[in-house]
Amino acid sequence: MDARLRFTFALLWLALLLLAGWWISAHLQLTGDLRKFMPAPETPEQKLLIDELGEGPGSRLLLVALSGADAPALAAQSKALHAALAADDQFALVANGDADLDAIPERLRPYRYLLSPTLDVQPLDAAYLAGQLDERVQDLGSPAGALVEPLVGSDPTLETLKVAEALQPANAPQRVQGVWFDRAGKRALLVVQTRAAGFDPTGQQRAVDAINAAYAKARGNGAGAMVLSGPGAFSVEIGGRTEAEAQWIGTFDTIGLVVLLIVAYRSWKIPVLGVLPLASAGLAGLGAVALLFDGVHGITVAFGFTLIGVVQDYPIHLFSHQRPGVTPLQNARALWPTLATGVVSTCIAYFTFLFSGVDGLQQLAVFTVAGLLVAALSTRLLLPRLIDPTPRDFADSRLLARMWAWTRHLPRPRWSLLAFALAALAATALAPGAFWQNDLSKLTPVPADALARDADLRAELGAPDVRYVLTLQGRDDEAVLEASERLRPALDQLVRDGALAGYDMAARYLPSAAVQRARQQSLPDAATLRAALDAALADSPFRADVFGEFVDDVAKAKTLPPLLPAQLAGTPLETAVGGLLLGGSGHATALVSLAGLEDPAEVARVARLNGAALLDMKAASESLVVAYRGRVLAALAVASLLLALTVWIAMRLSVLAQQRVAHATGAPRPPRAGVTGETARRTARVLLPMALTTLLILAVLRLCGVELTLFHLVALILAAGLGLDYALFFDHAGDDYADQLRTLHALIVCSLMTLLVFFLLALSSIPVLRAIGSTVALGVFGNFVLALLISRQPATPNDPDAAGVSDP
Amino acid sequence: MASAAPQAADPGAAIDSDWVLRILARPAPMRTNFVEIRSSRLLKEPLRLSGEYQRPDEHTLVRQVRVPYVETTTITTDAAGASQATVAREGKSPRTFALSRVPELARLQASFGALLAGNRAALASHYDIHAEGTRRKWEMRLVPKAAPLSDKLRDITLYGRGIELRCIETRPVEGDVQRTLLAGAARVAHETTSAAAVMALCRGEPTP
Repeated sequence: MDARLRFTFALLWLALLLLAGWWISAHLQLTGDLRKFMPAPETPEQKLLIDELGEGPGSRLLLVALSGADAPALAAQSKALHAALAADDQFALVANGDADLDAIPERLRPYRYLLSPTLDVQPLDAAYLAGQLDERVQDLGSPAGALVEPLVGSDPTLETLKVAEALQPANAPQRVQGVWFDRAGKRALLVVQTRAAGFDPTGQQRAVDAINAAYAKARGNGAGAMVLSGPGAFSVEIGGRTEAEAQWIGTFDTIGLVVLLIVAYRSWKIPVLGVLPLASAGLAGLGAVALLFDGVHGITVAFGFTLIGVVQDYPIHLFSHQRPGVTPLQNARALWPTLATGVVSTCIAYFTFLFSGVDGLQQLAVFTVAGLLVAALSTRLLLPRLIDPTPRDFADSRLLARMWAWTRHLPRPRWSLLAFALAALAATALAPGAFWQNDLSKLTPVPADALARDADLRAELGAPDVRYVLTLQGRDDEAVLEASERLRPALDQLVRDGALAGYDMAARYLPSAAVQRARQQSLPDAATLRAALDAALADSPFRADVFGEFVDDVAKAKTLPPLLPAQLAGTPLETAVGGLLLGGSGHATALVSLAGLEDPAEVARVARLNGAALLDMKAASESLVVAYRGRVLAALAVASLLLALTVWIAMRLSVLAQQRVAHATGAPRPPRAGVTGETARRTARVLLPMALTTLLILAVLRLCGVELTLFHLVALILAAGLGLDYALFFDHAGDDYADQLRTLHALIVCSLMTLLVFFLLALSSIPVLRAIGSTVALGVFGNFVLALLISRQPATPNDPDAAGVSDP
Repeated sequence: MASAAPQAADPGAAIDSDWVLRILARPAPMRTNFVEIRSSRLLKEPLRLSGEYQRPDEHTLVRQVRVPYVETTTITTDAAGASQATVAREGKSPRTFALSRVPELARLQASFGALLAGNRAALASHYDIHAEGTRRKWEMRLVPKAAPLSDKLRDITLYGRGIELRCIETRPVEGDVQRTLLAGAARVAHETTSAAAVMALCRGEPTP
């Protein structure tokens, strides 16, 4: 195969990868659902959070403020926005205060006597009816007479209006021009509830895009500005910023890597060839997860791509060891035992994640194992057929020779390593501050001004708290509705005491069947009502024959079966009640959303006394993070043992092979004990750098006051994987001087590449990128230096400067 | 003579809406009696209310019903343009609500309030204005320009004699015509409740 044909095949491979990448990105269902990523819930709070709630009623709310125009213009924009969003299936609820009586559909009208609290305190007797009729006369005589007139015949007590008013959100803002405005009358306010979960970044992005588009249309060429707030809006904003920053970092990375590879290999083809295994690995990982799981988690993809960063080193070894006189396939075969040791031991380590019982970790394991295997196999089998078989030999490099000679003077530390390890351990254990940071949102902090804006809007709209919610558990809907009603007086007291600005519950919209039956009991029968009405009408300006519908409706209400949650389907009440009443088989949960929570401890105490519980969703989700990390750490402990065992076996095989070679060439065979000793020595030489580097990273992070997160943990795993490869290759270089130089070249290129990528990430303003970047950059540095100090082969006879210095 | 005092001089001269708006404008404070006849299929006979409209200042419109019951509706507009109404009834604590919640009251504010203020711009933003007749006897019709006003209201017609606004006739899309007799018409209305008599009074025609 000539050079042109080889490169054509490389480009073909790249084109295939791009095509596959395009296909996968078009078909891959990325999910942001935490349930797919977190371990199975165990505590009642976790169960509620994950199994039933998914999240609090507040997390799917987007708060919208329109400003920058006069009130009529803003009101018109609000109405246009409302109309556009209400027609969009992405939104479960759009409210701007522009509500009317249609909240109660016609078929439910007779239920008004069961839904309104009037009958709890007031029987429909003659005196009450007479007073109400007097009021209606005045209503008819008022400028609003035309509004009331159609209602009076069937509803002289205006129960419909009372119910409609009660259905308005608690603490609704003032209305100007028919829509909600803030207290200053400067901003029109809307509340939008997405169907997509608050933690589903893709769904929230779609929702935010739809709102922006609808607003642009509603505003037209007019003046004005829109502010969006709420968890979904934040995640979209932060996601956008992270993406933008990752993008410029990626651009610098790409330029840097291309320049580095061209300088290192003096060939413009190397950057193209070098990217093939990594790209193949990424696609293989995605493909494998997509095939084996339904729905790939966004975090799996992010973690997975971080972890397979190690495969970028595979082709570098091939490139650096290629030289005239050796075919690329022979070269690949010679490197294979070392490469395979690294790949197999890492894969075995990741296999432990498969038994973690956490879907997200299993996905991660499948992703990385598939990626590593494909990268290794393509480096072994495909790439050798495409590279230039006769590049310059890096063993001829004077610069490398000088550097390698210099390293000969480096100490070969032994006991100082123990001191180093102990110091790092002590620093890690004793540094002040929390060890772990469980609040994942700390890694993607919301800007302070956005938080202030959110608090302001939340107060204006009386929108529910995102973190806390009260829960009531029971065997069915009725039980929890009754419990909610029992809780109400205590909550009202909390509102009066100022511990709480307001609350919302399903029972506010839909009373329990028990309450509805009690109200039915106090409804008069037809004859009694007729008599009371006649008495009330005696001196009234009203005609006696216009209240037939009223009498009929009351009679109907008296015999109706109580209204149940299922009957609300298709009405605006369905959303309001459905979000707060979670029915299951044999179990139901009622939620009480809280607004303006001033004193969580007091609310929690009162809730406990009344059979409810204050759920701190932040604490529950943090406890899930802790559980998740526990699984990761347990898996890692097993993984390290397996990894050490794998390396030990590989080293033993290598030592035995060397002995066979020595035997064949007539050298004396050392005793059996020598084999075990040599194996142990080489195993330690390979494993020590990564172990010590891990300790070093932990110590540095802790001393800098960094609280560790899952992202640090993933970065540590990557760093350890890199360290293992560095040590294996330094060890593999053996006692051949030329090979040592080639290995040095490869490892310098590898570590510079990784250092470049992760150093730039460490400069990011986004904490999550910074966490990964700083950890891996530190790891690359530590691993390279320690591998050089510990794992490099002792001086050899053909080394012109063979005077290694050991420390005592 | 005609050129010296045109408004008073020639009662037969044709009028236009500018003229009507000019004579209707009353600087605050002002007050005027009214009689309102409200007919409804629900009532044995039309409801006859009498009382007083007041404008104590530029931002306030008060509708005070005195007979057959006492009810005071106060509509105030704040600096930001938001209006609210307070309804006080005998023996009840007053209720206050944003005007925008009751479009009917908003309409009253938009038409009657704007008329008394002589605010042609405010009026013209909601209604098409047509005036006809002579200075002796004129009428001015306000037709809502757009929804939601036009969904409920067909038109409002003002009837007057000289500089006196005597009647406001409100025709809803559904339901009966409602008439508010003012000033001279209110004074002579006495106990009149028959629809025909009220209509004649309103339009300044001979009482049947």
